Amino acid sequence: MDKSWYVRFLFVLATVIGAWLVLWPSIDKWVPAPPRVKTMFESRISPGLDIRGGLRLMYEVEVDEAVRDRRDLRADQLLRTLGERFGSIKKGEIPTREQLQKTAQRVQITPVGERGMTLKFKDAADLAKLDRQLIADYGDVREKSREGTLVELDIRTDFLDQIRETAVEQARETISNRVDALGLREASVTAQNTDIIVEVPGADEAAFQRMRDLISKTARLEFQIVDDDATFVEELTDLPEGITRHTETVSAGTSKPSVTVSYLASRGAGARQKLADYIESLKASAKFPADHEFLIGEYSRAEPDDKAAPKAREEAWRTWYLHGRAEITGQAIKDAFVANEPDTGKPYVAINFNDDGAEVFRQLTAANVKRRMAIVLDDRVASDPVIQTEIGGGHCQITLGGFRPYNEVINEAKDLVVVLKAGALPVPIRPSNEQMIGPTLGLDGVAQGVRGALVGIALVLLFMAIYYQVAGLIADLAMLINLLLMLAAMAFFEATLTLPGIVALALNIGMAVDANVLISERIREELRAGKSPRSAVDQGFGRAFWSIFDAQITTLLAAIVLFQFGTGPVKGFAVTLIIGICTSLFTGVFCSRVLFDWLVRGGRVHSLKVG
Amino acid sequence: MEFFKSHRVIDFMRYQRVCGITSGVLVLASMIGLFYPGPNYGIDFRGGTELEIALKSKVSTEDLRKTVEDLGYHRPEVISVGGDANRYILRIQEVSSLPAKQTDKIEAGFKRALGPVAVDGFKVSPGGDKISLRLAESVDPEALRAALETAGARIRSVAVFGAAQDHRYEAMLVGVGDELVRGLKSKLGDRIPETPLRVEWVGPKAGQQLRTAALQALLYAMAFIMVYVAFRFDLRFAPGGVIAIFHDAAIVVGMYVLLQKEFTLGTVAAILTVVGYSINDTIVIFDRIRENMARMRDVGLYQLINVSTSQTISRTIITSSVTQLSILGFFIWGTPVIQDVVFALTVGFVSGTYSTIYIAAPFTEWMDRRVFKRA
Repeated sequence: MDKSWYVRFLFVLATVIGAWLVLWPSIDKWVPAPPRVKTMFESRISPGLDIRGGLRLMYEVEVDEAVRDRRDLRADQLLRTLGERFGSIKKGEIPTREQLQKTAQRVQITPVGERGMTLKFKDAADLAKLDRQLIADYGDVREKSREGTLVELDIRTDFLDQIRETAVEQARETISNRVDALGLREASVTAQNTDIIVEVPGADEAAFQRMRDLISKTARLEFQIVDDDATFVEELTDLPEGITRHTETVSAGTSKPSVTVSYLASRGAGARQKLADYIESLKASAKFPADHEFLIGEYSRAEPDDKAAPKAREEAWRTWYLHGRAEITGQAIKDAFVANEPDTGKPYVAINFNDDGAEVFRQLTAANVKRRMAIVLDDRVASDPVIQTEIGGGHCQITLGGFRPYNEVINEAKDLVVVLKAGALPVPIRPSNEQMIGPTLGLDGVAQGVRGALVGIALVLLFMAIYYQVAGLIADLAMLINLLLMLAAMAFFEATLTLPGIVALALNIGMAVDANVLISERIREELRAGKSPRSAVDQGFGRAFWSIFDAQITTLLAAIVLFQFGTGPVKGFAVTLIIGICTSLFTGVFCSRVLFDWLVRGGRVHSLKVG
Repeated sequence: MEFFKSHRVIDFMRYQRVCGITSGVLVLASMIGLFYPGPNYGIDFRGGTELEIALKSKVSTEDLRKTVEDLGYHRPEVISVGGDANRYILRIQEVSSLPAKQTDKIEAGFKRALGPVAVDGFKVSPGGDKISLRLAESVDPEALRAALETAGARIRSVAVFGAAQDHRYEAMLVGVGDELVRGLKSKLGDRIPETPLRVEWVGPKAGQQLRTAALQALLYAMAFIMVYVAFRFDLRFAPGGVIAIFHDAAIVVGMYVLLQKEFTLGTVAAILTVVGYSINDTIVIFDRIRENMARMRDVGLYQLINVSTSQTISRTIITSSVTQLSILGFFIWGTPVIQDVVFALTVGFVSGTYSTIYIAAPFTEWMDRRVFKRA
């Protein structure tokens, strides 16, 4: 025996022992594991919904919000088209905010209820510009009434159901994507009328909580322009205690490079609630304009000489007064990732928009040069950069954090990336019910599945031993190691074991045997050609290796593609396949070789029985 | 032990034309079958009916499942809820969808019965469990109920839905859920309550997105495999391998349509497995052809394929049998869903083995002969 054999043997031994240790806590029920092993390796295989049951979460989709969104979209389009007809906006060009404001002076569009809007024309002569054809072209809008210079439009009732259903389906798919992004946990996501039901396997409250957090994060990313022309905040009177008014000098468009505007701020414990309550009360009063938003965000980007700058880590919040329309939403996002700012080390989330999103973002930035753009995430302002110039290319970044510690911020950034990539929820959802559920499959079903798998594996082992004799026994040993490695990998990645997963395990064993069959057949051919066992083994492995390699790499390629482009169960399947390919290459080629070499080297056998 | 002792060269390529035509017809038939009559989608793709029920006294999950199955419901899911021994969620595939003709009749009858009030919206849910109404003005739910019943709908309850100024109503229909409860009552008697806690139509687990994503992923995978094979082997080999994959996937789908077996998420996984198996099998023979090409330079591709296929036939048969052995147990011990998956795999493995010999290799020879114009 040469030295390299011992090294290889020790490597196999170490892998097997390592795999056993990883797997051990998962099979603690049958083979009690020492507590030290259990604390060292915390990840476990978790039985799926069909085997053990789990938590059933029910969410209600606020579908009416989708109708409102559609109405807002149509209102924007109408304003732009009318502007073009008035001549205040050039056709085919991106309207600037000034141009839109000019248009709005001639026709004022006000939202009514969830699906209606009124158009109030200043000049009766302009009324003719809003002809029936224009309205009909939208398809989903109808004219409700026309009295004097006041026109009432609304979204057609026969489109409401469709808009709502689309919202539910989109929400379902988004949640499903998010749940997938968490890993291999095979949760089921279904829609039920306007509800969404998520069933999560397991019984781990911490895992459930993470799931809940991720699901209910709306991840509505919106870009809204700060209205620095308005004097709304300045005119507020009777500010409640704890809320203070401050001013800042900002740029409000190319013509107004430096204006002073006011905002509200609050500091200390409960500051956020204080501000939120006050804004709520403002909105309830008739004074608040319907086409504006008053949002809050963390108070961290203080002016250089601002005495109101908060002390480090003290909770502090401030307000922004914004134009109400969301210019871009999270649906326009292609990719997102976490990075750190080189100078400050602050984590930020970089975003790449898809083609449509990039175009809208370019238009938005072009129309609002030198204005502040608020990046709003779930109704909270994350940052308010000034648009310096038109931004093409579709990149953007959101800097997070303020008074909070780094770890908290980085975790938020990571979760944000998950939800941004999975897509924003088209409309908010609300948890409505939660219950623990039992296994979807009967106990007998599980027992049968396990028996089927054991019988299958036993048949394969038996066949190989009989057909290839010594080589078969080696293959059997390699196969058992393969099974151990696959289970350990599942435990390591905290994969969910479902009944179909058990079938896949048995099948993987069957398919992994191919490597051993190829090798054994080759060794047989070489032996038949009169070679000694040792050189037959060398030649057999040498020749078979490239077949095995090419075959496995091609399958691996397919699996990686499936993983990259697939969703849900397709992705889970791809992961199992990838794990299977890697472990079977190791056991079928590497481990088998170590065993064969042990036999044929050092003259242990003079003839090799390969069936 | 050895099953294949003969070492002569078998003329596999002789049958290339017959096999090519047969496979072409089968694949075409599968494609047509995908549209007509179309696959029989299971609950994963089509949705079903779900009801939650509180039993009056204890019935075990197994007994309840057995009873639901005995009532003729296909593959029900019976799930216990919240540790409470007597509460269950029952999920069945049946939906109480009404034929369009009947819906129209109910709608017309309802409008007539309701008289002067304009009906803005009338929509029967896809699960046939409720009718959503949108009226021009407020109407007493009881009056709506009466009007719907006159029109021939069987109504369980009518309630206001959403904001009052919207005048939206929901009428729950008597349907599959009630039938199931009645059936259970006849078998289990007093233990079953009069009405379930709720009956609802459940949407599919796998939406359009999954279908497109799976198909897209498959197409991308085939493209990448083609590139890899062209790079590692030869341009002539690339299309054959991919056509064989497509063939196998199509045959499995075709079998499912033909036998009207239920198409579930498991079936999707099975098709993907078959694709993996198929390419594996094909590459091994390609590899042997490549090896023999280098050794026997004066032999034509036709004969090379015959030699290579004959040399590897032992491995081909053994591997496919062993793979089959590993899932054999599930035919006897397995739930119906699993048995369906195993069936799909079996069809796919047979097809995968066949397609390597009779589709992938001959197509490579054809490429060589026709496209590359070699002897």
